[in-house]
Amino acid sequence: MNKTCDAIVIGGGIIGAATGYYLAKQGLKVYLFEKSFPCSGSTGRCIGGIRQQFSHELSIQVMLESVKIFANLAYEFGKSVEWYPGGYLFLAHSEEKKKAYLAAIAMQRKYGLLVEFISPEECRKIVPQLNPDGLIGGAYCPTDGQANPFLVTYGYLEGIKKLKGKIFPYTEVKKINLAQDRVRSIITDKADEFFAPIIINAAGPFARKIGKMVGLDLPIYPDRHESLVTEACERLFDPMLVDYRSDGCYFLQNYGTGHFIGCYTPDPLVPGESLSSTDQFLTEMPRRMVRLVPALKDLKVIRQWAGSYEMTPDGNPIVDRTPINGFYISAGMCGHGFMFGPALGKFMAEMIVRGQPKIPLDDFALNRDFKKSEAMK
Amino acid sequence: MSRRQKTTIICRCEDITEAEIVQTIRKGYHSLEELKRILRCGMGHCQGRTCLNIIARIIMRETGLPIERINLPTPRPPLKPVPLGILGRYNEENE
Repeated sequence: MNKTCDAIVIGGGIIGAATGYYLAKQGLKVYLFEKSFPCSGSTGRCIGGIRQQFSHELSIQVMLESVKIFANLAYEFGKSVEWYPGGYLFLAHSEEKKKAYLAAIAMQRKYGLLVEFISPEECRKIVPQLNPDGLIGGAYCPTDGQANPFLVTYGYLEGIKKLKGKIFPYTEVKKINLAQDRVRSIITDKADEFFAPIIINAAGPFARKIGKMVGLDLPIYPDRHESLVTEACERLFDPMLVDYRSDGCYFLQNYGTGHFIGCYTPDPLVPGESLSSTDQFLTEMPRRMVRLVPALKDLKVIRQWAGSYEMTPDGNPIVDRTPINGFYISAGMCGHGFMFGPALGKFMAEMIVRGQPKIPLDDFALNRDFKKSEAMK
Repeated sequence: MSRRQKTTIICRCEDITEAEIVQTIRKGYHSLEELKRILRCGMGHCQGRTCLNIIARIIMRETGLPIERINLPTPRPPLKPVPLGILGRYNEENE
């Protein structure tokens, strides 16, 4: 086997797969290394929501691009990825929340996003089963949606293989060798050495560990989040429901299969790499779901699991080159990796091949001021 | 792929045939975790109790991997499907 390629990608989640794919499309020979199986990390544990409703300008721009890509992936791959623009409905149960949504909507509309604040009656037209108690309206964007994280990631990986690249599952990168100030090779857990002038750190919750191999201390720390999925049922409603109350939750009905799938943000947060699931979540999440949509009460939970949000101090990812020539980072996705993945993959490929992505990613720079914060986390 | 393989349902919750499983193994996906994610086999009501051992044997037959190297996916709670309404009332009723 040839041990030299044009670019080595570390990480077989959406970020690594999409970045590798768009690099391969630019003519580079890509080798992708995944320590377990593809989608074994955060991507395979996410619930597949895709939204453009952010309160941060660059995130809105990235997501406008990502949604365009998601809408075309079936044509690109020749296979459905279960993309469905069912919308996102952010519910407001307080005047304060409504004000925050209205401010975000004004910003989102500057970029041409179709989004509006709708009344409780309009919310109930979109989601007839929604509990109206305390509801004062919602921020609704009908072009947000969902897709299947496995199908998207495996689609990109199959694409890399078709474009003469190679995927190495169950192969862990143990060491990165430098030659002066630039990358030279990686050593795997099977003691093989592979050479490339470009190495991309797309290792999700393990990005910090990979950064340390070249002497970089990346401010990326995983938090544990939990999810559950119910049995399938007939289609009840289209959008992802987001309840931002302190004991809220968010969930959607999977378009391809009819399952309901959802999570909530734990309070307090649970830092660390642990991926064990708790019975606290298994009882609390159903309470919150049934409160919001009482009609779900007889639907059975079939599975619960946990996954990581790789957090940075300001809630935005790090997508940048580094002081080490040829070493790039695309990580710290803060729970938005799946939806950001296609656009960031494309932008990273542009940064590597052309020197500059289509949209400047200054707010995702490695040496930015991390004190500002994203409100619609 | 034989007619028998095309008509034999291995995962009964998600309607996955032996032919679909064999084709995916032949594409290079040799673990239950990968097959589960690509085909959804083992993700239905029974959580793979019916099919995963059969699929492990198909992997063994197709790839020659010894059965002890074919790992079962992580088991996930709850053990049996339980309605949201019952789980959601659990804390109230046990306070």
